Amino acid sequence: MERAAQQAVPLGQMEVFQALQRLHMTIFSQSVSPCGKFLAAGNNYGQIAIFSLSAALSSEAKEESKKPMVTFQAHDGPVYSMVSTDRHLLSAGDGEVKAWLWAEILKKGCKELWRRQPPYRTSLEVPEINALLLVPKENLLILAGGDCQLHAMDLETGTFMWALRGHTDYIHCLALRERSPEVLSGGEDGAVRLWDLRTAKEVQTIEVYKHEVRAHPTLCPPFFLPGHLRCLHLLLCSPPSQECSRPHNGRWIGCLATDSDWMVCGGGPALTLWHLRSSTPTTVFPMRAPQKHVTFYQDLILSAGQGRCVNQWQLSGELKAQVPGSSPGLLSLSLNQQPAAPECKVLTAAGNSCRVDVFTNLGYRAFSLSF
Amino acid sequence: MSSESSKKRKPKVIRSDGAPAEGKRTRSDTEQEGKYYSEEAEVDLRDPGRDYELYKYTCQELQRLMAEIQDLKSRGGKDAAVEIEDRRIQSCVHFMTLKKLNRLAHIRLKKGRDQTHEAKQKVDAYHLQLQNLLYEVMHLQKEITKCLEFKSKHEEIDLVSLEEFYKEAPPDISKAEVTMGDPHQQTLARLDWELEQRKRLAEKYRECLSNKEKILKEIEVKKEYLSSLQPRLNSIMQASLPVQEYLFMPFDQAHKQYETARHLPPPLYVLFVQATAYGQACDKMLSVAIEGSVDEAKALFKPPEDSQDDESDSDAEEEQTTKRRRPTLGVQLDDKRKEMLKRHPLSVLLDLKCKDDSVLHLTFYYLMNLNIMTVKARVTTATELITPISAGDLLSPDSVLSCLYPGDHGKKTPNPANQYQFDKVGILTLRDYVLDLGHPYLWVQKLGGLHFPKEQPQHTVITDHSLSASHMETTMKLLKTRVQSRLALHKQFASLAKLQAAVVLNPGYSSIPPIFQLCLNWKGEKTNNNDDNIRAMESEVNVCYKELCGPRPGHQLLTNQLQRLCVLLDVYLETESHDDSVEGPKEFPQEKMCLRLFRGPSRIKPFKYNHPQGFFSHR
Repeated sequence: MERAAQQAVPLGQMEVFQALQRLHMTIFSQSVSPCGKFLAAGNNYGQIAIFSLSAALSSEAKEESKKPMVTFQAHDGPVYSMVSTDRHLLSAGDGEVKAWLWAEILKKGCKELWRRQPPYRTSLEVPEINALLLVPKENLLILAGGDCQLHAMDLETGTFMWALRGHTDYIHCLALRERSPEVLSGGEDGAVRLWDLRTAKEVQTIEVYKHEVRAHPTLCPPFFLPGHLRCLHLLLCSPPSQECSRPHNGRWIGCLATDSDWMVCGGGPALTLWHLRSSTPTTVFPMRAPQKHVTFYQDLILSAGQGRCVNQWQLSGELKAQVPGSSPGLLSLSLNQQPAAPECKVLTAAGNSCRVDVFTNLGYRAFSLSF
Repeated sequence: MSSESSKKRKPKVIRSDGAPAEGKRTRSDTEQEGKYYSEEAEVDLRDPGRDYELYKYTCQELQRLMAEIQDLKSRGGKDAAVEIEDRRIQSCVHFMTLKKLNRLAHIRLKKGRDQTHEAKQKVDAYHLQLQNLLYEVMHLQKEITKCLEFKSKHEEIDLVSLEEFYKEAPPDISKAEVTMGDPHQQTLARLDWELEQRKRLAEKYRECLSNKEKILKEIEVKKEYLSSLQPRLNSIMQASLPVQEYLFMPFDQAHKQYETARHLPPPLYVLFVQATAYGQACDKMLSVAIEGSVDEAKALFKPPEDSQDDESDSDAEEEQTTKRRRPTLGVQLDDKRKEMLKRHPLSVLLDLKCKDDSVLHLTFYYLMNLNIMTVKARVTTATELITPISAGDLLSPDSVLSCLYPGDHGKKTPNPANQYQFDKVGILTLRDYVLDLGHPYLWVQKLGGLHFPKEQPQHTVITDHSLSASHMETTMKLLKTRVQSRLALHKQFASLAKLQAAVVLNPGYSSIPPIFQLCLNWKGEKTNNNDDNIRAMESEVNVCYKELCGPRPGHQLLTNQLQRLCVLLDVYLETESHDDSVEGPKEFPQEKMCLRLFRGPSRIKPFKYNHPQGFFSHR
């Protein structure tokens, strides 16, 4: 707030406007380029900024390296979700999905390759697209958002093949369970639904807020036990139960992550680890703030949401570390695990500010890129 | 003395010559009766006169002897002792004679007494017999007189006269041939006939009684039937009430109301009539009712005779109480004041329903002595209002109706005549009593048809229907708008009280817009750090300020921003999701039209207003 007053030079209207914009900017989505050296970030004004990670991480990094290489107006509305294929950057926001060529963008040529709109039922208000999911084996792109359906688009032809209906309120997040293959979707109605991609039918519904965890979080079964036995071990231990639902937050599922046997989901209800085969929750992570993004990383679970910090959890439910970032709330985490650029292997976090925090080491924040 | 006593004993022994031992008298009494010396027998033989003479002689001798002894003793001498002794013996003999004579006298006395006694007893016995006989005689005489006086009951009976008797009585009773001659038999016959008649009459009487019983029972049954009819009729009436309501013809209710309305004082009556008429004709949301005690209203108009009786009683009571305690001057004045400000027991209750289901309850009272009407107001809302401090007074009954018409505060009495009345009892102004009695607004007086010209006081004021009718419609509309605007204001206050906004104004205002930072204190402190929606609201106001500039040169920016902030706050509070685990209605019921409540990963509320369509959506 005091930024405007701190400037010595009197500002013109444009600078004032831009300053105000940056004050109220929210970065919703990130995506790493296929070569791993660049990071794209999409914000609530519809802009996408490309940052050069390699430049920012190098030893001669200057202040400008932390600024975007190129910024362009991608959408009219906020860019809620971005995903990269091996050549394209796909971004989605207000009802449309657009594709950009990475090669083009890096040369600062910001022209969309194509744009598609899934067939929506209602036309009164264009629903947003909150989540994009790539299914590389089938070359599918799955979109989900405000119209409560999952649309599948074939990336080659660009046609929308089917739509999965089942959610009663809009969908927040998608996750892919590779083994089956199944798609998990979490929505505002509080349910995580599992859909079989081949049959295009709903397989299972887990209403998270109705469950409670039976097992004691500190009694951690040994890791070498296979999944189902681990679950059994947890179940057989004596149970003081913890409820998943937190009514004052609501029941919406904001984030999902899965590694085929296990699923972690959070949002209004507490962040919980579930065993998918038996559909039982096994661990409740004691985090009061609703989490907006969660992901598995090695043997940890990383989550971020309301609150400055990136939280690192053990599978047993213990908090390993809380690393503060620079934004008051985080909406998106991105792990650059592209094999082509191992030196840029960083965790980037972005949310309710114009900055993207870069963590080179999970223990602390190295620096921030800013719009 | 012992010698004398032994001598005394001796004569006893000597006297009883022939008896072996006197001591054994009792034992030998029965066997020796003949030999036994009985003095009683001797007494009969001797002559009492001679005994008396003997007594006198003996006494003389004794006196002589005593004198001689005296002489001798005084002379002394030797042979004096022998002489004395001799004389002493003689005197002893004389003493014995005296004793005997004494005994005889006693015995004679005793005998005489016995004889007297016997004779007396006999006389008594005869006397007693005589008494008994006399008593018996008297008794018998009484009996005789009684018998002679006995009146047989048959003489009390009014027997039928002889001719009738002979006419009516059947011959086996009358027995004319016998009875003609013999009055006794005649009377007997007549008595028989009387008995016969009486028996017949008794029979008839019994029959009549049983008849009567039967008829009484029938009457009872019929009465019960009638009395059970009344509650059935009542229940039919009750049952018809829902039908009445269904058909919107509440006759019964209206009838009752009109009944009670008859007891209303004139201004309240005018109000009632006009309000009901208005309600039926124009405004279905208006309902009129009468509250209060009809009996008290009737009591105000009691006939004068009763009050006179009461007066005499109360005079007596008053005297008593004045003897005990005089009420103080202040208490008297207080009583007079209370009397002056007395309200009529009936009041008219008007309920104005507004569109959002909140109801304005108006209760109209009539102050009898002051001839003005007052009103008390109360607002009830469909949902419970949580009153923030700043909005405390908005809906308070005291002020919700003030200044409905310009200048009409309702603190002063509109009737100029009241001023003189107040002076008498020391009331300065009606303002002090307004909370209790209600507000005497001018429009209330007009609704009741009371017209007070401002210039001169009048003694009587006529109540006027036309005055009331002309004001009714405007007043009702004003009341409704007042209530709605107050409620809306209340809500605004409630929502705004929770919001704090810090504004930074740059000297280059209006080209450089003010920046708002918001902090909402509701269910916890929410700022842009912890609530995405607050951030969105700030961004609406800070970033999208170009929309809010208004016409050039855009000086209205701040006010427009504030206004938009209010609207955003409304949207925020109304669309806040209701916590299902907590019971109760929503604190801010949703009134704005929104397409979707949440959108996007941040779950932002719809803050963008679409102008002509009038709904909220997301940016």
